[in-house]
Amino acid sequence: MLEVQGLGKRYGDRWLFRNLSFSLGKGDALVVLGRNGAGKSTLLKMVAGLVSPSEGTVSLGVADSRSDLGMAALDMALYPALTLIEHLRLAGELRGCEPRAEELLESVGLSDSARLVTSKISTGMKARLKLALAIQPEPGVLILDEPGAGLDEAGVALVERVCAEHKVRGALVLATNDGREKRLGNLELEL
Amino acid sequence: MASSWGREITAIFRKELASELRTKTGLMTSGLFSIVSVVAVAFATINKRTDPTTAAALFWIVLLFSSIVSLPRTFTIEEELGTGDLLRLMARPHAVFWGKMLFNLGLLILTAVILSTLFFLFARVSVASPWLFVGSMMGACASLAGGVTLAGALVAQASNRGALAGAIAIPLLLPLTVVGIAALRVAFGEPGATVGARDALGLGCYGAISMAIGPYLYAAVWKS
Repeated sequence: MLEVQGLGKRYGDRWLFRNLSFSLGKGDALVVLGRNGAGKSTLLKMVAGLVSPSEGTVSLGVADSRSDLGMAALDMALYPALTLIEHLRLAGELRGCEPRAEELLESVGLSDSARLVTSKISTGMKARLKLALAIQPEPGVLILDEPGAGLDEAGVALVERVCAEHKVRGALVLATNDGREKRLGNLELEL
Repeated sequence: MASSWGREITAIFRKELASELRTKTGLMTSGLFSIVSVVAVAFATINKRTDPTTAAALFWIVLLFSSIVSLPRTFTIEEELGTGDLLRLMARPHAVFWGKMLFNLGLLILTAVILSTLFFLFARVSVASPWLFVGSMMGACASLAGGVTLAGALVAQASNRGALAGAIAIPLLLPLTVVGIAALRVAFGEPGATVGARDALGLGCYGAISMAIGPYLYAAVWKS
């Protein structure tokens, strides 16, 4: 489902990382570890096609990355003037999938806040909404960058449930600094 | 459910509209600029009748800068807020460009209506050829919405987007300024109805070309 060959990223003269190669199939979950600034988020964005690699290739075995790839990242912002339900409806319309807005908000525990604009909700609630947006199209490849950051115990349990459910359907790539999240994967990559 | 261009463009348009209705940033920026500019023109020309050429230049300058201060924002705000990655994950560049461009066109038409009303009320300018004025305004809105949206789209992801927007806007908008003033001058009473109509049509054509090539240029910088 996902094949990375000889991937590298350079900023100026400094290589952030080089020669990364891995291949993930259905049911695989890769946990990317590393100190701050090691390039975990950059690697995930390269896999998602948001950052161009300096060398190497990323092949996603999917027809349309909008509907077959889901991503939730700590530094990915939400529209401050849109409500939670409007985010899910917008994403559904753009991706060409069923929005399932009420159902997804219920599953991430945000039903009571559906009509709030995201500038009025907490960091943890934003993380839950990003998780809902990532899983909305039931993607083949799910990418999660620091998914547990800012979440309470119930939120962390939600991340674990989402990861477990996704592994039945496709491949998972997860970057974390939290040692407890190592157990969410069956493969590890240290940057 | 199959995706379609129409639904995606409408979704982007609705997102922009909902954000604008809640924040009123674009309308306040361009509306306040128009009001202040017209009041300044009215004071400067008090007890004087402005000749058609000067009136056309003043009108066009106010409309041009009203669009420059508000329209590129629909693209640059995505990078400033950090929502660009979310949008790139969900949408196709052509749909984003068209949705935002149509929103900008609507905003500019509203600004042009407000500006025209204020201009005729306070700046003592009369229209000799109403149909040419309406045609010029339609061409001006289409060309400015196309040109300024394109400039904003191209520079949105650059780190020095403010300076770059100005540099790109000059070659894109200078020809419009020349043709736009020529069309409005005739609408305000200068002779040459045929030339005025041709200039208004030229503005419309410029708008159509910018709208047609804009999505392709935007797609080239979409994930850079």
